[in-house]
Order: sequence, then structure tokens, then C-alpha cells
Amino acid sequence: MDVFLPGPGAQIHDLNPTTFPPVGLFWTIQIADDRQGDNGNGVDVNLGTGGAVLEVSNAPIFDYGDINNALFGGGPAPVPGTVSCKVEWQGVHQRVNIRNTDPVFGGFAGEFIRNAAQMQWTATVGDFVFESDALGTSSSSFAEIGHERNGVFFP
Amino acid sequence: MNYRAIAALKASNPTRVDNIESPVPVGEVRPGLSRRQFTRAAAGTAVVGAAIGSALWTPVIAAPKGAFAPVPIPGGSPFLGGSYHVFGPAAFDPIDAEPITITNFDGFAGLAYVSGMVTQTNTKTGEKARYPFVDSDMRFMQGNFRGTDGRIHQATFGFI
Repeated sequence: MDVFLPGPGAQIHDLNPTTFPPVGLFWTIQIADDRQGDNGNGVDVNLGTGGAVLEVSNAPIFDYGDINNALFGGGPAPVPGTVSCKVEWQGVHQRVNIRNTDPVFGGFAGEFIRNAAQMQWTATVGDFVFESDALGTSSSSFAEIGHERNGVFFP
Repeated sequence: MNYRAIAALKASNPTRVDNIESPVPVGEVRPGLSRRQFTRAAAGTAVVGAAIGSALWTPVIAAPKGAFAPVPIPGGSPFLGGSYHVFGPAAFDPIDAEPITITNFDGFAGLAYVSGMVTQTNTKTGEKARYPFVDSDMRFMQGNFRGTDGRIHQATFGFI
């Protein structure tokens, strides 16, 4: 989550789950997939409709303040906290099949749907509690879902 | 991750971002550009606080119990110097760049840059403030992957 001062203001919160420095698995955590259970954690995907849901409850994160501190350090010590979120992808703007063999950006293949996404989230960090507006008020500048294969599964 | 913030970071100090060989380990000062100098350059203001030593950066394992390690993708965005195992498709990398962070993976993936408004409440003072969250980078991976143990596992991951 990236929170800014209003307008073209500076970033004031950078919440991510990785300990500094983020040189291993980047800002990625395993989540207990329990979409059918009580906590709703996990992922549901329907590539037929272009729908997907990511739901995470009380994931441990750190607030690094801004991207500079998150990537390079040197700023205030990160503040631990937790975040919960629900992200919904909807619609089919474009279907694309990608087989990217570019040595830098590629090494994967997949079938993707470019669409739109919305999110609501809450977080607790130090003395601060965050609660976003309702999911329907948010918007995405880019969104996609799909099925992909890379590494040893790259055909 | 937020490409507005990253773009600002790169604009404020492109040399630093382009020349990352590896992220600066905690407590290390890279020759030629101190972390303090970089912070000042990136912020475009006076030095922000004092450098914090590694002793204060206590790692906490964020992975849940019973987690098995997936392997990060081998590369990383040139925009960030190539050392961080992540790309920003349609943000600071080509739209068809690798959208996930795990290699040896076969499964569902999703990515979105989402913006909206959030209310911040100070639980000590009760003070509330409204702020935008901008292009927050949210992703998921769900499927099979070969872990560091060389075995195939099935799991779900979130990129927050």
C-alpha cells in the first residue's frame, strides 16, 4: 500500500511484507488459502468471466515510509504492522496470449485478460489505523489476470 | 510498489537507481554515494533523519507456519537496476514483462495498480486525516511451483 499526501504530495506510508533489503522474494508472502472457510483468505479466479478475488487478513507488514527507504534503507526504521485487503478484478477488456522469450523481461508464457480492479483495505501500524473507502470507490490504472508458466514450466 | 514513487525516485537520482549492482546491505555505505547523500538527493530536501544501523532493523519472518520457499524469478527490472526480483508491467517495464515474482511456476496470476482514498486515524489522539493511496501494486500467484527443495508444491501467494 502506498499512501501519499494529497495532490502531488510526498509518499508518507509504504507498506510491504518484506524485510529489508528486499533482495529475495520480492514483497511476496504465502497466504493460507481458505476462501471457503471463515476468514476468506485466498484467491478465486474465473478466467471465463475475467473475475478474480484476492483476500488477505492480517498479513504482517512493515511501514517503510516511502519507496526510497523500502528499497535502499537509510531512513527511519520500518514500523511493523498488519494489513488486510480485498482486491477484485472484473471484466474482459482484452485477451492476450503471451510467449515472452526476451532475456530480460521474459521467460514465461501465458494467457492473460487485461481488465480492471478495485480494492479496499485496512491496516494497523504503530499508533495509526488505516481504513480505505469502499471497494467501489477505487480504480485501477492497469490490471490483468491470467494463467502463466515460467522457469521449468516454460514451454 | 508504486511507480509514481519509483519514477520520482529515479528522476531524483537516476545514476543511483541505474547503477545498482546489489541493494545496499543494511549498515553498508557504498563508495561514492552514501545512503545519507542518496536520501537527500531522492527527497530533494535536507537529510531525512540519521542513518539507522542494522541492529535496529530486526528481521521478522512474515511467512506463515509450514511455509516452503519458492524461488524468486532470476531477473529484475532494469529500471530498478536489475537486482530486485520484480518487474513493473505497464508501469516502468513493457506491458508484456513478467508479472509474477516466483519462478518455476505454473498457475494463476493477477496484477493491479489500484488507487483510492484512505482514512488514517491516530489511535492516541483520535486525529483523522484523509489521504490518497496511489497505484498500489497488488498481485497474486496461485498454483504449482518448484521450491528450493526441488519438489513441486501447491500454494497461494500475495504480493502486497
